[in-house]
Amino acid sequence: MTDQIREQISALLDGELASGEISLLVRRMERDAELRRAFGHYVLAGESLRAPGALLASPGFAARVGAALDDGPVEVAVAPTADARSPRRWARPLAGVAVAAGAALAAVLLVPAGERSGNRLAGSGMGSVQVNAPILPAGGASPTPAQNQRLAGYLVAHGQYASPIGRRNAWSAALAADPGITRVALETAERP
Amino acid sequence: MANFPPADGSIDGHEPRDGNERPASGVEQSDLELVRRVQRGERGAFDLLVLRYQHRVVKLVARLLRDPAEAEDVAQEAFVKAYRAIGSFRGDSAFYTWLYRIAVNTARNTMASRQRRPLDYEADLSESEQSAVESRMRHGDTPEAAALTDEIHHTVNRAVEELPEDLRTAIILREIEGLSYEEIAAAMDCPVGTVRSRIFRAREAIDRHLKPLLD
Repeated sequence: MTDQIREQISALLDGELASGEISLLVRRMERDAELRRAFGHYVLAGESLRAPGALLASPGFAARVGAALDDGPVEVAVAPTADARSPRRWARPLAGVAVAAGAALAAVLLVPAGERSGNRLAGSGMGSVQVNAPILPAGGASPTPAQNQRLAGYLVAHGQYASPIGRRNAWSAALAADPGITRVALETAERP
Repeated sequence: MANFPPADGSIDGHEPRDGNERPASGVEQSDLELVRRVQRGERGAFDLLVLRYQHRVVKLVARLLRDPAEAEDVAQEAFVKAYRAIGSFRGDSAFYTWLYRIAVNTARNTMASRQRRPLDYEADLSESEQSAVESRMRHGDTPEAAALTDEIHHTVNRAVEELPEDLRTAIILREIEGLSYEEIAAAMDCPVGTVRSRIFRAREAIDRHLKPLLD
């Protein structure tokens, strides 16, 4: 039995052990200092054969590294796997664009047409800039139910990607503009 | 000016990519298996990686620092850094390539902090200086370390010479020529399982010689 395990260790060193056998062997070696010692000696013999006369790590080196790892709290920060990472990574910029577009649309929908037409933004010391905003149908101070529905969709989409603060700000702004929009948004979010 | 490898393989989470796409060797795949286990929290798997690469890393660092006495301290620091950063290792390069670059960066930081000139692969050393460094590199820093290193090399070589021919051929083809079991099987005209067994028996025979020396 021991010989069989040590033969597996030899094969592991050469990269010739089947993947399925590695896990069990590593767990065995974790518990058995004699098996770790054998692995270390196999490595040493190989290094000595490949580079006769070369400097070698001292016999206690690996144990000292192990002790150093045991000494302090060492966290192994595992990067997210590609599967976990990719969908959100690429979706976030798109979501940002969608949120920005939503905000722009909200501004278009919520600001009364009369205030937008021929509007000027006064910048502090930057002169003034003519804004060529599109004009909504006249008399549309309040959004229609269809507009509310679309804006609610943007709010819900925003809520899925925004930070809690960003989400709260967006919803507060929408609520201040028209309480009806937020009600529709809540209904949209609750739909399955 | 030191001719260091690119420093982008450090522990900042950006893993260097090998320039050429090539199939991973069995050892690389085995290393990757061990790394995945470390990433899942199996510390024992990292201990095996330390055992596997300790000599190469110590030798590399000693060469860069030109100081075998502190090579092990710096090599130890490199292994600790590698362990801390192993979560960022994705397997785009061989594990040893990644570890090698961490070791180089750690040695470079040590030299920078001590305002020492790094070794430019011996190109900027005088002949006598080179000879002194080489001697210390071979033998370590203390007479005891020198004696032990010499004894290990002598013992291993003697053990290999004493091996039956089939075991000696198998272990030499594996360790010195770097052939896979399949290639050795083809060369020796025997099954792969026989190769695996011969290499194991050769290692056991060498170990029997080494054990009294090291334990």
